[in-house]
Amino acid sequence: MKIKLRVWLKIPDAEAATVKNTLRRRMGYESVLEDLGRERLWSIDVDDGVDDPMDLARRLARDLVNENKESYRASVGSVEFEGGYVPVRVGLHIEDGEAVSALKRLRDRLGFEMVRGVERSVVWKLALSSPDPQRTAEEIAEGLLINPHKDFYEIMT
Amino acid sequence: MKIAVVQFPGTNCEHETLVAARSAGLSGEIFRWNRPAEELSSFDGYIIPGGFSYQDRLRAGAIASKEPVMDALREEAEEGKPIIGICNGFQILVEAGLLPGLGGVDAALASNVMVSKGEIVRRGFYCAWTTLRHEAPPRRCSGSFLLEVGELVRMPLAHAEGNLVTVDPDLMARLNEDHQVVFRYCNEAGEVDPEYPVNINGSLENVAGICNPEGNVLGMMPHPERSSFAWQLQPTDPGKSVGDMEAPGPGRRIFESMKRYIEVRR
Repeated sequence: MKIKLRVWLKIPDAEAATVKNTLRRRMGYESVLEDLGRERLWSIDVDDGVDDPMDLARRLARDLVNENKESYRASVGSVEFEGGYVPVRVGLHIEDGEAVSALKRLRDRLGFEMVRGVERSVVWKLALSSPDPQRTAEEIAEGLLINPHKDFYEIMT
Repeated sequence: MKIAVVQFPGTNCEHETLVAARSAGLSGEIFRWNRPAEELSSFDGYIIPGGFSYQDRLRAGAIASKEPVMDALREEAEEGKPIIGICNGFQILVEAGLLPGLGGVDAALASNVMVSKGEIVRRGFYCAWTTLRHEAPPRRCSGSFLLEVGELVRMPLAHAEGNLVTVDPDLMARLNEDHQVVFRYCNEAGEVDPEYPVNINGSLENVAGICNPEGNVLGMMPHPERSSFAWQLQPTDPGKSVGDMEAPGPGRRIFESMKRYIEVRR
């Protein structure tokens, strides 16, 4: 069973603003990129026998989310995004040290022995007005959002 | 001989880099990224110093690599002028495709992974002195123009993302064959060990610095400007000197090489 945590900043996201600015002012997407947002996505693999996965999600979020500056939404299984933008998930195809550390911390120090795996990625939410938003999102991912020698991406439509 | 030390928002080594370049006999100035890019053509060479351009947002060097000043630097590189990227400057040059310079973005500088006895023992930011072995033939590369093969150079490093990785299985063979590997991490005897603490960040084949095929663009993770004066060396280093504040340290060889490269090119 997989618990998904979508985490976003409730304070201004300077990284998203910088990426938006670069795409619009430096890379020619001023007329098609209407807006851009960013979320972290944690995918946490847990034992199938967990009684109340949403309660477990809330307890995991106490470690993975800083509620002073972040909000989150939990789900079990698939993750669904709102309409109005193209969600582009970016993660590492090489080993992700932060995810490895999170797994060790959750299991070995915080007692979440039911956690089997942790995967971390970033979802870029691209509001596009181009005729083919998916193709434009692919261009943006390959042109800026990833370095293919360490990152992968997928369009989550 | 006038060089530009290119400063992006978040660059933090521009002053000491300019001091080190001046100590080698170069003149120059700090060139802010938002100046008209065409003004770059009046300089004889360029250094992109270390720091955290754009706060490493997205990934180190990615945002700076899209600035117009990088298009201008690409044109100057095609003219054969020397460019040295140090630490974050190296990351920017890789993200811009200027290094290794084989036609696209050919590699990445990923998060450090320190491996010892087959186990990951540490990750992330690391700050230490290191020894580099010069791998390229003399005069192969602008930033190591005066160094002999096998010459050892001591300098510090401080970074979180210096681990050279690639999905191209042939890349390292090409770089080795073309003598584009300029520096490797080694121990003080000059021996290359693929594991930490010699391979300080997990980089492929201990790579610490590479150049483009033409040799005029060099990128390196360690900081030569932090060992350009003998007084900057570690207390235990036999070369340390505090009496003469102008006495050279090993890092100055990088800047002297750049100066000599410019002289020969003229």
